[in-house]
Amino acid sequence: MDLVLQPFLRSLETGSVYALAALGIIIVWRTSLVMHFAQGSMGMFAGTAVAFVFNRSGLPLWQSVLVGVAVAVALGFLVDFAIIRRLKRATAVGKEIITLGLIMVFLGLAPIVFGTDPMLLPRFIPSGDIKLAGANISYNGILNILIGVVIAAGLFLLLQKTKLGLAVRATASNESTARLMGVPTRSVTLLAWAMAGVLGMLAAVMIAPTTTVTPTFMNTVQVSALFACVLGGFQTFYGPVVGAYLIAVLSNFLKLYVSSVWGDQLMYLLILVFLIFRPNGLFGKTYMQKV
Amino acid sequence: MSTSTVTRTASPLNQLVKALRNAHVQFIVFGALLCLLPFLAKAGLMRNSTLSTLAFVLIYAIIALGLNLLLGYSGLISLGTAGFVGLGAYLAAYFQDDLGLGFWAALLAALVIPTFIGLLVGFVSLRVRSIYLAIASLCIAEILLKTFEQLDWFTHGTAGKQSRFPVLFGFQTDRSTVFIIIVVALVLGMMLIHNTVHGQLGRALHTMRSSEVAAQAMGVNVLKYKLFAFSMATLYAGLGGALYLFFLRSSYPSTWNLFMSLNIIAMVVVGGLRSIFGTVAGAFVIFAVPELVLKKLPVIGDVAGLPYIFSGLLIVLVIMFFPNGLKGLADLVVRPFRRRGQAPTPAPSQPETEEVAPA
Repeated sequence: MDLVLQPFLRSLETGSVYALAALGIIIVWRTSLVMHFAQGSMGMFAGTAVAFVFNRSGLPLWQSVLVGVAVAVALGFLVDFAIIRRLKRATAVGKEIITLGLIMVFLGLAPIVFGTDPMLLPRFIPSGDIKLAGANISYNGILNILIGVVIAAGLFLLLQKTKLGLAVRATASNESTARLMGVPTRSVTLLAWAMAGVLGMLAAVMIAPTTTVTPTFMNTVQVSALFACVLGGFQTFYGPVVGAYLIAVLSNFLKLYVSSVWGDQLMYLLILVFLIFRPNGLFGKTYMQKV
Repeated sequence: MSTSTVTRTASPLNQLVKALRNAHVQFIVFGALLCLLPFLAKAGLMRNSTLSTLAFVLIYAIIALGLNLLLGYSGLISLGTAGFVGLGAYLAAYFQDDLGLGFWAALLAALVIPTFIGLLVGFVSLRVRSIYLAIASLCIAEILLKTFEQLDWFTHGTAGKQSRFPVLFGFQTDRSTVFIIIVVALVLGMMLIHNTVHGQLGRALHTMRSSEVAAQAMGVNVLKYKLFAFSMATLYAGLGGALYLFFLRSSYPSTWNLFMSLNIIAMVVVGGLRSIFGTVAGAFVIFAVPELVLKKLPVIGDVAGLPYIFSGLLIVLVIMFFPNGLKGLADLVVRPFRRRGQAPTPAPSQPETEEVAPA
């Protein structure tokens, strides 16, 4: 067993999960200017729906995931359409508190809808692994890394090269100007919430095989994704993705080489210290507030 | 809240009404009424479990008062409240039982140390953007929670720390006495918040609330006042933690999780931002209603996630439809009953804006 490459590959696997969740947070942040604290819980809810469908109906996993996509899109639409869009008068803090309230709603709702028994969700590729310079990585691990990288790359292409991406970026940079220019900002925001929901659901399905599906199984992912955004900075779409992989690597190596108990806590402290020196994150630009 | 009522007749009743307009008198009367509750319980007119629930309502009200200063005046969110409350509780237990230093040392430790940590966290995170405080405090709460689980000599880990009722002035307290201590702390806490908000500090906070940039231009050191608001929130959290421990006499790490922090935010939002009595009412709604009412409902009463849904939905609904919370509701009910011919009702000390908090 290689003591550097092995944990590094494992970190890439969890890093992909964090990256997907962080992308969801950053898309909502850029289009609605709301810190999406409920990203993890909405992902948890949709992920639990996948586990529920998979365990109860016997559908194959990929079909269950499609059901999960539908649930996630519906939840995203619902939250934006029924709540966020109607909050014309509330400020960003009000909306953030709403997402905090949503955490509790989804947490309470999940056991009522899907039952209180913890569920299991298998890997996409059940078995098999390959050796790579003395380190092992499972096929499923490779798939997870690929999903993370491909979705992140696909999203960048979408944002940079397509008309839809232009609309998202225009909304992100200035919503009212974008609306005046004819960008359908409401649809863009609606889409952003749905995308965040799907990304959260994917993160949940990818992390689920390492644990059991309970209402709190996405907590670490949520916290790590928030930190990924802080570390990478909120101004770019790629910053949080890089931040997510960095956090996963840092956390794994601290746990392995410093302390298996305090690894995550040390990492949190390091990030706080990092904020003193680079308050806007790795790729952040100085934030200017207009009067 | 200075009133400019023109007294036409100086009848005793009028003077009494006038005295009751004074906020400090209101707080003391409220506290005196609360002090009657333990005697009701002793006389058998109220269940002991109800008294316990009410004690926790008051403790949560103290914690929420501190958070209301932070959320209501500086528009900052703290997700680490539970961590600081837990730290206060464990510190109180450690100083009282393990070190044997007694009630006052325990209380002091529970006040000073969380506040100091709060200042550090605030200093690191508040320089960037307001929302970073939420993330940084979440991070500190995670670190504290792990500490509570792992630091055996300090917290007894997951087995839980046991404590006992404090000895105060050589007098062994019991449940009723600790209840009265909680009430005294609440009244003092209300007065401190009231004075803070109506003093020079409060004016600076008000200015920041309407426009941070304008406040800065007027010479208000925004970072200093945000730090002040956050350290007040941690101070109240530490106090709440110490009182929690003195009343319950035990502390388990699992208590101090994110959902406690979220519940306290819910109390502030439901009670009404920047309202002192509203916060107490909010604490009652969020903590006591699920305990005393929802659990006893048929069929849905057994559902485990019900209190979560209750708090979560209330947060969403209150912000969507009732930004001023219970305080706004109370104003709505009271307004038609105000006597005509009286001098206009004392102008609210702050404009009732529809917005929830500053951007």
